[in-house]
Amino acid sequence: AELRLSHQWSTSDVRHKVAQIVADHVAAADVDLEIRIFPSQSLFKASEQYRPLSRGQLDMTVLPLSYAGGERPAYNLTLMPGLVKNHDHAARLNESPFMDAIGEIMAEDDVMVLVDGYLAGGFAGKDGCITKPEDIAGLQTRAAGKAFEQMLAGAGASIASMASSEVYNAMQTGVLQAVNTSSSSFVSFRLYEQVACYTPAGDVALWFMYQPVLMNKSTFDGLTAEQQAALRAGAAKAEAFYLEEAKKEDAASVEVFRKNGVEIAQMTSEDFDAWRELAKQTSYKAFVESTPDGQKLLDLALSVE
Amino acid sequence: MTAQTETTRARHGGVAALRAIGWLSQACGLVASLMILASVLITCQMIFIRYVLGGSTIWQTEAVIYLMVGATMLGLPYVQYLRGHVNVDLVPLALPMAARRVLAAVVLCLSLAVLGVMFFHGFELWLMAWERGWRSETVWGVKLWIPYLALPVGFGLFILQLAADLAGVVLGVDRPFGVPDADAGEDA
Amino acid sequence: MDPLTLGGVVALATILVLFSGVSVATGLLITAGGFLLAFDGMRSLELMPEIFFGKLNDFALLSIPMFIIMGAAISSTRAGADLYEALDRWLTRVPGGLVVSNLGACALFAAMSGSSPATCAAIGKMGVPEMRRRGYPDTVAAGSIAAGGTLGILIPPSVTMIVYGVATETSIGRLFLAGVVPGLMLVTLFMAWSIYATWASGNAKVLESRSFTWAQKIEILPRVGPFLAVIVGVLFVLYGGVATPSETAAVGALLCIGIAVVIYRLWNLPALWAILRDSTRESVMILFIIAAAGVFSYMLSSLFITQSIAAWITELDVNRWVLMAAINLFLLVAGFFLPPVAVILMAAPILLPVILAAGFDPYWFAVVLTINMEIGLISPPVGLNLYVINGIAPDIPLKTILRGSIPYVMCMVVAILILCVFPGLATGLPDLVMGPVL
Ligand code: NA
Ligand code: NA
Repeated sequence: AELRLSHQWSTSDVRHKVAQIVADHVAAADVDLEIRIFPSQSLFKASEQYRPLSRGQLDMTVLPLSYAGGERPAYNLTLMPGLVKNHDHAARLNESPFMDAIGEIMAEDDVMVLVDGYLAGGFAGKDGCITKPEDIAGLQTRAAGKAFEQMLAGAGASIASMASSEVYNAMQTGVLQAVNTSSSSFVSFRLYEQVACYTPAGDVALWFMYQPVLMNKSTFDGLTAEQQAALRAGAAKAEAFYLEEAKKEDAASVEVFRKNGVEIAQMTSEDFDAWRELAKQTSYKAFVESTPDGQKLLDLALSVE
Repeated sequence: MTAQTETTRARHGGVAALRAIGWLSQACGLVASLMILASVLITCQMIFIRYVLGGSTIWQTEAVIYLMVGATMLGLPYVQYLRGHVNVDLVPLALPMAARRVLAAVVLCLSLAVLGVMFFHGFELWLMAWERGWRSETVWGVKLWIPYLALPVGFGLFILQLAADLAGVVLGVDRPFGVPDADAGEDA
Repeated sequence: MDPLTLGGVVALATILVLFSGVSVATGLLITAGGFLLAFDGMRSLELMPEIFFGKLNDFALLSIPMFIIMGAAISSTRAGADLYEALDRWLTRVPGGLVVSNLGACALFAAMSGSSPATCAAIGKMGVPEMRRRGYPDTVAAGSIAAGGTLGILIPPSVTMIVYGVATETSIGRLFLAGVVPGLMLVTLFMAWSIYATWASGNAKVLESRSFTWAQKIEILPRVGPFLAVIVGVLFVLYGGVATPSETAAVGALLCIGIAVVIYRLWNLPALWAILRDSTRESVMILFIIAAAGVFSYMLSSLFITQSIAAWITELDVNRWVLMAAINLFLLVAGFFLPPVAVILMAAPILLPVILAAGFDPYWFAVVLTINMEIGLISPPVGLNLYVINGIAPDIPLKTILRGSIPYVMCMVVAILILCVFPGLATGLPDLVMGPVL
């Protein structure tokens, strides 16, 4: 049998490697199962993978779950400022009742998680450092994720929406003055050439995005016990790799920015608390108002130590 | 594109239904044009807000995208009416009139079939977005049934115009493929 | 069936369908739907409207109608004629001033229009009759404007470059810059040939320079003012940190409509409606092909044809220049029949991985591809610019227009060869302005 896995990244990206580990393990297990990977949006556009997955027209995907937040508002919690503090906290969150609740919602769409994983990100400013809410007031900013846009708007930033491919040029010409995105995007879009200061994910970070490997549940259930076992084993191997690499990416991005002469700033825990207080009044509030059972899910997530 | 199709349009040959469909397609063209004009103005407004006033621009990019989708979908029947969808007409031109008519009818039937598929599943998609209350994943959070509505409406009206064209060819009131008929001595 | 054989079958079926006279976009949908149904099953058809919608769901596409409106608004005024007239009065010491002025006007107009037929029509409406009146051979009068018009898609802005950028996810700003120097090189080649051909036709007298008084020279200047204002305005918006490239197109469109209304007194509603209507027609035609080609390339990818062809060509291990020649030949043949947008959308997803694997620069390739597509615009059987000239000057036989175009086709081939030897002509300017490629 053949499974089709689609994702949006290039073959050098960590998320492709995660998918490749699963595929390689399954192939080596010799259980008459092959995973064919379609990288770089060569099958579906990034934001248009969840629906084919839930209808079984796509078997697997590596997907930032919040992309499907328009259909399942609960998923917006997987990209919420200040909800995840660091990578180890993210790993604990993956094993918590909160993720069980998210898993139940996925099951309603016939979707299941194969590999859990979070990636972190930070801020960069064209003219100065952005560590606390006051720093971003009045700046034209592009943020990755709707909850972040709400929070930054609450801090007085002006939000500009544009495709990620336009960000480099917009920073260069000055259309944008600040940007918030993942560590790997900061490097792959070469933003270090255009910014003065970088605030990476460190001991504390605001920006964590849940980007699991998902699979259609019926397709999984239709596999033989050996095939399922091979998939599970490959997934476990990939998950361990994913967590290690996620930590390394942050450090690697700092290295690249430093080498290019960009100032590196750190967010203190007071800064973090200030952001989180702001997020409670903006993005958390908006989330609870627009999501059925929103408060319950938020409390579940916040209760993870 | 410009000079070539200046005077070409679907002919109704006095058949009331065909004339009505032609009007409908032209009305679609008017709406599509206004949507494009609105995109120009909204984009300029967005630049003004951001560059001159330094303000937030939340809804403009998305609004413009959906206006463009709407303009494209509503433009389909209009451009079909104007014979503006570019094609390769070497083979049809080389055929004698009778064969050309048959080929035109076959081509129109095939087009109707595939656009019927697009219409049907487009309608399903719209219905799902409506029933489940899907929204776009942005701060603006548009109800997705609104932009998705362009699919069934656009393909539906496109199908109507193509059906009118098929009728025109079968009834013999219109030229197959909209190409000038050398025997009749028309100039395009 | 293995994907490569299947790819051959798809290619054959696509050719058959497109030659039936069906519109290109619908033909792509028919082929895609047929193969999805046969090889991926009934349920894969459900995805078609979603993929179709997804292709249109892209802010970058906004610039296509915008750049078309720019060209349409300006060409509905006498700005084109003013432009070449001004050049003619100032280029008095240049042999063949009039044809050189017309080609120069084409190049300048191309900097305001994203499409080739619009450029061709705008300059040709006055330029072709004027050249014939002054005794230029019909072949030069028609051929130079047909060819000069093709610069519309090479000199930025360019609709086909946007389409290439969207299809290959390359930077549109960088693509635009890549076209500037090759565009200037091409127009120089066109000028050189035009002067030579006129001289060789035994009618060298028309090449003699005419003299204009300073009063005449100064008097015409205000008439090109609006033109320069648009170009300066757009460049300021683009590089002054005002807006992103996609957004800039809207400013350009508004500026051009404004100039048509205020300066050229184009304030009757029917005239404005004509601009909007023609732009809508051309834009919708292109956007429909873009969306349908998206469904088509989903089919190719889903049946693993794209990937297999790319892998197969890479494994062939032929010399990269042989490969480049073969690719250009293929594009040339496709361009004879299909509009540039369709060729780019169908070919780019398959060719780009091969191009990159062979070590070619995607921006350099975009320029080569565009010049190749320009050839299609002035070659039979479907040469849009030939029809435009035919519409402007119906008394020049199509055969003469064609004969006049052939040398300009050769100029384009020479330009491609020069670019192969000196790829820096395309990549130098974008590297200089935007830094090395990502
Ligand atoms: Na141009
Ligand atoms: Na051609």
